[in-house]
Amino acid sequence: MRNFDVTSEDVASFSNTMELMEREWAPCRHACPVHADVRTYIELAAQGRWKESIDVIRRHLPFAAVCGQICHHPCEEDCRRNDVDEPIAIREVKRFVAEYVGKNATVDRPDIQDKAKVAVIGAGPAGMSAALEMAKLGYRPTVFEKFPLAGGIPATAIPKYRMPQNVVQIDIDWILAHGIELQTNIQIGKDKSIDSLQNERFEAILIATGLAKSRMLPIPGSEHKHVLPVMEFLTNLAFEKEVNIGEDVLVIGGGNVACDAARSAVRLGAERVRMMCLETQEEMPAWKWEISQAKEESVSIITRRGPVEVVAEDGRIKQVKARKVTRVFDENQQFNPQYDDSDVTGIKCDTVILAIGQKADYGFVKGSSLKLDCRGRLEFNPATHQTNVENIFACGEIVTPPGSVVEACANGQRAAKAIDMYLSGKKIEIDDSLPPAIDKIAADTAEKVIKTERVHIPTEKPEIRIEFFDEFEHTLNSEAAACEARRCMNCGAGAEVLLDKCAACLTCLRVCPFDIPKVTDVARIDSALCQSCGICIAECPANAIIARGWDKDELKARTAEILHSLGTDRKIAAFICGYRASTAAWRGEEIDVPTVAQVYLPSLARLSVADVLKAFENGADVVVVVTVGEDNERYPQAAKRIDRRVQEVRRMLVEIGMDGQCLKMIRVAGDTDSIRTALVQAAQELEKIVS
Amino acid sequence: MIVAERKPFDEILEMLKPFKRVLVLGCGGCVTVCLTGGEKQAEELASQLRLASRRSNLGLEVDYESISRQCDEEFIENLQHDPNKYDAVLSIACGVGVQFMGERFPEVEFLPGLNTTFYGANTAPGLWEEYCHGCGDCVLALTGGICPIARCSKNLMNGPCGGTNNGKCEVSPDMDCSWHLIYERLKQTGKLNQMRKIQPPRDWRKDRGAGVRRMSIEQMIEQESEV
Repeated sequence: MRNFDVTSEDVASFSNTMELMEREWAPCRHACPVHADVRTYIELAAQGRWKESIDVIRRHLPFAAVCGQICHHPCEEDCRRNDVDEPIAIREVKRFVAEYVGKNATVDRPDIQDKAKVAVIGAGPAGMSAALEMAKLGYRPTVFEKFPLAGGIPATAIPKYRMPQNVVQIDIDWILAHGIELQTNIQIGKDKSIDSLQNERFEAILIATGLAKSRMLPIPGSEHKHVLPVMEFLTNLAFEKEVNIGEDVLVIGGGNVACDAARSAVRLGAERVRMMCLETQEEMPAWKWEISQAKEESVSIITRRGPVEVVAEDGRIKQVKARKVTRVFDENQQFNPQYDDSDVTGIKCDTVILAIGQKADYGFVKGSSLKLDCRGRLEFNPATHQTNVENIFACGEIVTPPGSVVEACANGQRAAKAIDMYLSGKKIEIDDSLPPAIDKIAADTAEKVIKTERVHIPTEKPEIRIEFFDEFEHTLNSEAAACEARRCMNCGAGAEVLLDKCAACLTCLRVCPFDIPKVTDVARIDSALCQSCGICIAECPANAIIARGWDKDELKARTAEILHSLGTDRKIAAFICGYRASTAAWRGEEIDVPTVAQVYLPSLARLSVADVLKAFENGADVVVVVTVGEDNERYPQAAKRIDRRVQEVRRMLVEIGMDGQCLKMIRVAGDTDSIRTALVQAAQELEKIVS
Repeated sequence: MIVAERKPFDEILEMLKPFKRVLVLGCGGCVTVCLTGGEKQAEELASQLRLASRRSNLGLEVDYESISRQCDEEFIENLQHDPNKYDAVLSIACGVGVQFMGERFPEVEFLPGLNTTFYGANTAPGLWEEYCHGCGDCVLALTGGICPIARCSKNLMNGPCGGTNNGKCEVSPDMDCSWHLIYERLKQTGKLNQMRKIQPPRDWRKDRGAGVRRMSIEQMIEQESEV
């Protein structure tokens, strides 16, 4: 149990309670290489606030649309819902948000960008992320790209069925809008040298050229023209150049790029496509979903075989001889394969695609003072991102282990920090420390959480999708995205006891449906266990419990604002459980009843007696509480609590001489139609009362 | 702990009629624990008062807040609202808090929002029951740990009256006869002969008979207070 004591004085010093959430992070955010504020953008998505959601995503993740398609989503691996049922489909929600908002995401370009000129070599995720950070800090970045378009691997090598170009372009356009100059078709080392960039008064240069070349295999026959280096193969496909493959393709390699090549070969019409790798299927470096989708598309996998020779006859490849692999990794988990040379078999094929890894193209060294180390790699200090030339920096896969797009973004952002420190005349010292992550959910808490099914991603059947390079996993629609986002358990946004106010009265302990509060000297609510339902907040007699990221009076203020915006004499405030409502309804675009101020909540569990009374004070003649009832509620016991609070307010109304019926509770199924019917009915009844 | 319950709303409103600016002041002690005088109740009561004022054009302006305890001087400095700027403060502390605060702010009318009812325990969520009367001369050692002063309608000291009826008190069928409880308890613990001892008349000076009671803990007293 990790505790951070909070008092009302602390809270008064915060601009808002979001600051409390910086004390410890939800595991999704912690696991994300760029530490995107997942919980917040998922909650915004749950309410259909798409634009706010994408803005939160892009605060940390410039390649939001790309990552929506292909991120390896470590956030989902660490999602605490794993221990309840299934993780939130975070990537799919992000994909919908990024593609739906598209180019309308907010661009926050600084008014003045008059700091130093910075050259970035390579317009991939690392380089573009760095350029963006530099631009935001007021520098003037120029990105040089050898290809005719920006985006790096996602734009130039990942097959279109996984990464459509228009999606990459969403991110590129948004990034460039921050005041970044892009020069395409310029290869540094060939069209222009680093020295010439120095002469052009770029005060810092960042190398972010990635791993653009295929690693080759020095075995007999590997120079055959039907042995295709994978990067060339994929890049030619990406640029829709002619690609010649035969009928019987063998892809050598067991990683994601190998899967891309194999699945592309299937789509190109090869009769048979096989992958061959040193590893067992469990050891293969490709993501498990890549392997299973490849298999669905009739790619078969030959495991534990290492190629020794490509055998050709009459100018055509006949087979690849491969020996048995006895181990891939040694005792220290280092890549150190061993073979059984007595077990060599011939694998028939007419085309070989070599996908055993990529390597850097060091062409940019020409025309510079850069040095390569004894292993032929760029001299580089990982702490400062500096090369042997102090104003030349490097980031991304050229200096890191191969990774995914989001990792490249993170590394680019880190390099930008280093360059900023260097150009500001500071010592380059980057603080990589993070707030701690919230622990896993405890088993007995997980048991009490209401189970929900993870969204099903609409996917084309294998026999259909292999005919095209079109994307086969479709974007969710808005309702499915919001519905999925509502599965989020809001980890870390839960209750916080203000120690100075707590009277240890035990109410929180008694009303919590998850049995989380512990009361000793005062109540303590373990953030690692709290499910953020808010029941205790509404019930605490001392107003001593707040929720992180949820300001106590926000609901009252929002209700007042909506009530005041109604143009009618008579008004109804409707507090609506939005758990099952459409996002259009949430945005007030779907249900229009002129006398009704619609106030949607993620659950009515947080609706307090004071909130309802305040609505009357703010001009409501009638207040309607629209609940979805026990079976459809987001939290256990919430329906019971809401029911009791409604009774309590009615009693209070009667005390002051009002009609208790001014407060109505209507139970609905929760969909838009049922909410509309309830509101129309309430409005009609109001008319009757008035007349 | 001290248990207090909300006064009827009409009575509160009647009390406040002569005033315009009112502060509802909660107490973070016993009355928060018994869910009648905390900040939440202060907030709700303030809201009710504003609504009632609007209905009857009383022109009340009502704020609310709560402090840790209304019966200790030091917590007063935590007040965010200055009571002197109000015509009246409706204290929803026990009677102790109302008076103690009233003494500290002689310019302001401190009015009680609660009726202080008893010293009790929380017998179940939402239920409080009287256990002690504060008589100043505890007899629990003689009576099987059950108080005949607080829990017998007549404060009897030598067994039940004629109104005991199958374990219940004649005052109300859902009220236990405490002497019946004492009898059962002593029987259970083998001390029934204790009931044969006649208890002499009590010294009621220790209760209220000798006027206002005081208590002192010598080592905490910093100077002789003027009597």
